[in-house]
Amino acid sequence: MTELLITVFSATFFVTVIRTSTPLLFATLGGLISDLSGALNVALEGMMLISALTAVIVSVHAPWYVAVLAGFAAGGVLGALMGFFHLRLKADIILVGFAVNILAAGGTVFALSLATGGDKGTSINLVSKAIPTIDLPFLAAIPGIGPLLHSLLSGHSALSWLAILSVFGIWYFLYRTPPGLWLRGVGEYPAAPEAAGIPVAKVRFWSLVASGLLAGLGGVQLAMFNYVGFTRDMTAGRGFIALGAVLLGARHPIGAMWAALLFGVFDALSIVMPNLFSWIPAELIQSIPFLVTIIALILFSLRAQRARRVAAPLRSADT
Amino acid sequence: MVPLIQAKSISKTYPGGTLANDRVDLTVMPGEVHAVIGENGAGKSTLMKILFGVEQPDSGELIYDGKPVGFAKPREAIDAGIGMVFQHFSLVPSFSVYENVVLGAEPRTGIRFDREKAIAEVEALSEKYRLKVDPLPPVGRIPVGQQQRVEILKALYRNARVLILDEPTAVLAPQEVEELFVAVRSLVAQGKTVIFIAHKLPEVLEISDRITVMRGGRTVGEVLSRDVDEHGLATMMVGREVTLRVDRAKDEGPVSLEVKGLHIHGESGAPICQDLNLRVRKGEILGLVGVEGNGQSELIEAVAGLRSVADGAIYVDGKDLLPLDVKARRNIGLASIPEDRIARGLAVGASVAENMVATRLDDERFVRRGLLDLKAIRAQAEQLIGRFSVKVGSPASAIGTLSGGNMQKVVVARELAEQPKLLLVNQPTRGVDLGATEFIWKSITGARDGGAAVLLCSADLGELLALSDRLVVFYRGRIVAAFVNSDELTPETLGRYMLGIETQSPETVRAALK
Repeated sequence: MTELLITVFSATFFVTVIRTSTPLLFATLGGLISDLSGALNVALEGMMLISALTAVIVSVHAPWYVAVLAGFAAGGVLGALMGFFHLRLKADIILVGFAVNILAAGGTVFALSLATGGDKGTSINLVSKAIPTIDLPFLAAIPGIGPLLHSLLSGHSALSWLAILSVFGIWYFLYRTPPGLWLRGVGEYPAAPEAAGIPVAKVRFWSLVASGLLAGLGGVQLAMFNYVGFTRDMTAGRGFIALGAVLLGARHPIGAMWAALLFGVFDALSIVMPNLFSWIPAELIQSIPFLVTIIALILFSLRAQRARRVAAPLRSADT
Repeated sequence: MVPLIQAKSISKTYPGGTLANDRVDLTVMPGEVHAVIGENGAGKSTLMKILFGVEQPDSGELIYDGKPVGFAKPREAIDAGIGMVFQHFSLVPSFSVYENVVLGAEPRTGIRFDREKAIAEVEALSEKYRLKVDPLPPVGRIPVGQQQRVEILKALYRNARVLILDEPTAVLAPQEVEELFVAVRSLVAQGKTVIFIAHKLPEVLEISDRITVMRGGRTVGEVLSRDVDEHGLATMMVGREVTLRVDRAKDEGPVSLEVKGLHIHGESGAPICQDLNLRVRKGEILGLVGVEGNGQSELIEAVAGLRSVADGAIYVDGKDLLPLDVKARRNIGLASIPEDRIARGLAVGASVAENMVATRLDDERFVRRGLLDLKAIRAQAEQLIGRFSVKVGSPASAIGTLSGGNMQKVVVARELAEQPKLLLVNQPTRGVDLGATEFIWKSITGARDGGAAVLLCSADLGELLALSDRLVVFYRGRIVAAFVNSDELTPETLGRYMLGIETQSPETVRAALK
């Protein structure tokens, strides 16, 4: 037990948490944007998976940043595709989402075996690149807390920093700019923005594209930093955990960040624990993040119910 | 003076073949309040939708401000200075008042939404036109009357010169109607023109300068308000003499329905109704008065068996209702005309005949050995269609093809096919035209005279005052007043209790409910 505590309170563990949280945070932000616009994006999982493979394959032939952009763009294209089917062809958004997930599950394996010349499990014989870490050596020079700061803040993926920036960027967009107001209005009560002359379908379309772009970055981080290379079904349900994190974060970007970090902690635990407790079956430990998702969602909905109970007399008093 | 808006010989046929507007004329002068009245289906809404660019006319000419115009979509009408407030508000509930007003035309600094400027502009507008509303709280938490002001402010913020108000008083309590009229007068005083769609005649006569009457898709006349009275208008609207007067119950019967100490909780556990006590006698109509959402509908649902009860008891002729399910309650003589005929009263895709026997599927006459007796069902339907004069092609027509009034008549016919012991009625004539209203009222009083105890809930105070023998007023889930109906009882008196301005003492309530 003490070993576990020592591990958890080490700077290395913090770095691991940031690493495991980053793909989740991108996916959660993606889920948040489309959810707020009124289109629940259940395809985050498939978008991440396709973007991850795209990035890996492109990185074999191109510099890392081109690969990142390719994965990013792949997510956006999938978002636009969903928008086209949902908004133009009026297909149900959940069904469209599942179609993308099914396409991703099968399509990535097929594309992987084409790219690797027959390997249907991993991209191990492709020489793919990684996203560079950002080192901040000057931090170590600060007297006193320098070494600690350095061990906490150095060595993260460039995308982790981008993720944090995105949280605040998205917050600013949603709550401080007119298009953010439109997006939230479209999600909550589309008749109102429609009457005000705001193109509702267009707002939703771009929300889906943004959702795809963000999920795409999550997939890129997964295949070019957390692991270098692609493994079949490597997202392992993160896209669905992200949907839970959207709710757990109270449909707010800052909340989404905390929710993603919470799941990241348990994800990180499931990485370090097998070394410490060899007697616990690894499968059991790996199921921790999913158990936590279920427990967190139950607690969240209990809390929300209680909050409604407290607020309800107030509201009925207003009518 | 030159008219501001002139519609000349406008015709519109909907894809279904309904001729909604048949060479309609409308002339609106600048700076007047012009009422457009007519029964449901008279074509007022279609005409307004054409003015606002929601629909396009098939033929005819629209002249606005001296120039011929045609609006392809609402945006163009808005840009030309026409604003419309629909019956269903287009407001985002969680957004603040000012956010709703400026939505789609926000003041900006750079890419930022300039909230301070938005708040200041909304305050200035609300000051100028006497539309008092706090800009900061979320719209979902302010009363309906204020939400309506937000809608009007929205139009004014977009520089509307003409405001079309679609049945604006339908959702308001009498005091709120007064406030709306104050605002309308202030708008007109400052040069705006108001088109007022309505069907409540006293209000129309009070607020408007001129009235255009429509019937069956045509304009039947234009009159100055000061030249007509209510009776004359009603006759113009319906095309024949209407009597919306019903006789009161003759004598007092024994108590039939008794509600004792009833508490109802919402899904979240919050109390909706608290400690309700009331009695309804045989052959008596008890009116449940209250602004929507104060517990009247929930009481009716609880009696019908559609909502669980937290505490208390309900008896019909001494029999405890609570342990019984809906079907068992119906078997002892409960009938119910629900609030929402489309969602709860009818199966819209099914036929008229099927709907008319839907509550009698364990009746030997219609179902034998588990099989429907189609012949008997058809005969029953034909008999009811005749008795309740439902306008329908055949008993096999789908409910969805009927007009609102005829749909409601199907519900009434089914529920009153046999004399009930206890009749629950919620919003019997919402969206129903005057002719059908007359008929439905007579059916309800007919059931009363046959010995039914009736609980009546309605958003229309005129209806409650016309039909009820006694009335109780609900405010925040409690009965705050009770009256024996009389000609001295006015909507204004009821309104004060509905808004919680006054409360009767428990003794007074008890005395009126003896």
